Amino acid sequence: MNSLNFNDVTLKFGGITALNNVSFEVKPKSLYAIIGPNGAGKTSIFNCVSGIYRPTQGSVTYGDNDIKELRPDQVAELGIARTFQNIELFENMTVLDNILIGAHRHLEYGAISSLFFSKKARKSELEAREIAEEIIDFLEIEQFRYSYILSLPYGVQKRVEIGRALALNPDVLLLDEPAAGMNNEETEDIARFIIDIHEEMGKTVILVDHDMNMVMDIAEEVMVLNFGEKLAEGTPAEIVKDSKVIEAYLGVS
Amino acid sequence: MRGRPNLYTDYSRESAIFSNNTQKVWFIVVIISAIIFCFLATDYWLLLLTTAFLIAVASWGLNIVSGFAGQINLAHGFFVGIGTYTSAIIGGIATSSVIGYELDMIIWLPLSGIAASIVGLMIAPITVRLKGLNLGLVTLALVFIGSHLFSNFKSVTGGAGLGRKVAKLKLFGVDLESGIQIGTYFLDKNEILYLICLTLCIFTGLGVKNLVRTRAGRAYSAIRDGDIAAEAIGINIFRYKSSAFALSSFFGGISGAMFFTVSGGVEPGTFNLLYSIIFVAIVVIGGAGTVLGPLFGAFFYTLFPAFILIAIKALEISEQSLPLNLGQIERILFGLFIILFLIFEPRGLWGIWFRLRNYFKAWPFSY
Repeated sequence: MNSLNFNDVTLKFGGITALNNVSFEVKPKSLYAIIGPNGAGKTSIFNCVSGIYRPTQGSVTYGDNDIKELRPDQVAELGIARTFQNIELFENMTVLDNILIGAHRHLEYGAISSLFFSKKARKSELEAREIAEEIIDFLEIEQFRYSYILSLPYGVQKRVEIGRALALNPDVLLLDEPAAGMNNEETEDIARFIIDIHEEMGKTVILVDHDMNMVMDIAEEVMVLNFGEKLAEGTPAEIVKDSKVIEAYLGVS
Repeated sequence: MRGRPNLYTDYSRESAIFSNNTQKVWFIVVIISAIIFCFLATDYWLLLLTTAFLIAVASWGLNIVSGFAGQINLAHGFFVGIGTYTSAIIGGIATSSVIGYELDMIIWLPLSGIAASIVGLMIAPITVRLKGLNLGLVTLALVFIGSHLFSNFKSVTGGAGLGRKVAKLKLFGVDLESGIQIGTYFLDKNEILYLICLTLCIFTGLGVKNLVRTRAGRAYSAIRDGDIAAEAIGINIFRYKSSAFALSSFFGGISGAMFFTVSGGVEPGTFNLLYSIIFVAIVVIGGAGTVLGPLFGAFFYTLFPAFILIAIKALEISEQSLPLNLGQIERILFGLFIILFLIFEPRGLWGIWFRLRNYFKAWPFSY
């Protein structure tokens, strides 16, 4: 496992600076949270990690790999998986197919083997199915296995998206607002899944969310962003007391 | 397992081509009746079904790129043309104006598909970078470039208005043009063509079904439903978009090669815009992104004119008394059907079949 490093990353869109000299390190097997007001650049960080945006300056490295040079699918090959803020599931496919697509990188046969459903294809399909079933079992979505994404409630869709990312068997999992729009009960479920993913599966988790209770509860380390700049970094206990964070984000009571 | 055919006890059975016995039985019944039909039907119906099989093969091709991978392709007819002329060069007879090498069908049939898919791969760098309407426009340009090339490349195509003879029907050195004697039964050319095309059709259909239930097919659908998400989970968009174009063109090419061998000759003007659009229409009417849809669409398209003719005869209307000629009526009704399908059944004929099937599964209960 490798650590993920941001080194003085600046990201500009024309005259707008989305990220300004942001540096941080996510150590292997840690649970790192990024918080901040809307438009602070949290999702931009995720997009820089997964290769969708290219930083204007600075570098993003994962172990020895410079992510700036890679396409999104190559980043995924390194073992970095993500979910999206506005669910980006494959809507016209079933839950099972969505999760099987996540296992894409573990299946090693091409389009020609697909056409003939060769022995190799058959074998790896069955293996992928085993992986998918384990994930379905873990996320408690058995009854939705054959449902089309379009017909599922929001909370379940969020879970399926986590499942799809898990099917990559990644080392690093980026979760973009997994608890957004959920009620307390659903948020608790999600928090439980995140803790399990982190502790039992031993994955590095980077989390973006607005639910302060959840973030402060489960995160090991928190970074606060405001207008594209890093405001503070530390353990949840330190962050809650930080006067700049209170002013910019948490609010004075 | 007996008595509980829908209870799956392992994953391999669930992902099988025919996941229950009913499907298996129907598949066999349909194929056997198609073979029996070959020996009972008149030449008119044989030819009609032969074309339907071939159009189905080409539509299945287009369905891979447009239905599954979700990339608009208005140039499918161009790829069909590439396949046709490849077969004509390799399998056709040389004359003073056109070239031809009179090789065996076992050589020209796969090569016509491969040539079409190579052209598909050649334009991949452009098609992969575009999507939506922009991609549509580029493929549109391809149709015009194609028809220009076809009409001016006289040593291959014979030139506009003239055309040429296409590949000879010779398989493993046996000349099939004049029919063959098998035991006491004499198979004539039309029956041979029918059986060859039926085989092609079955294998293409099974291939497409295999594609859908495995890695490549899922990757195509993922690109259709969300290319950013697809990329983020490790699907190489460039590779899969171009392989979708290549596979689609492969089936188009093979279908073209056979199609014009059935009809005997080909004129370059055939591969115009309308020719390409018809494939799009067939896929939409049949049901884009489904396995059986293109088959339904192809049969609808080919059998539709025949049924209009029957209807006109049955109603005892003389052709002269109609305000429009038959071709015009066909086209107007076909256009009307496209509009009706888009409004009332976006899933096409497959959607209707799907609902009917589910109705009879639960019969006599309504749900």
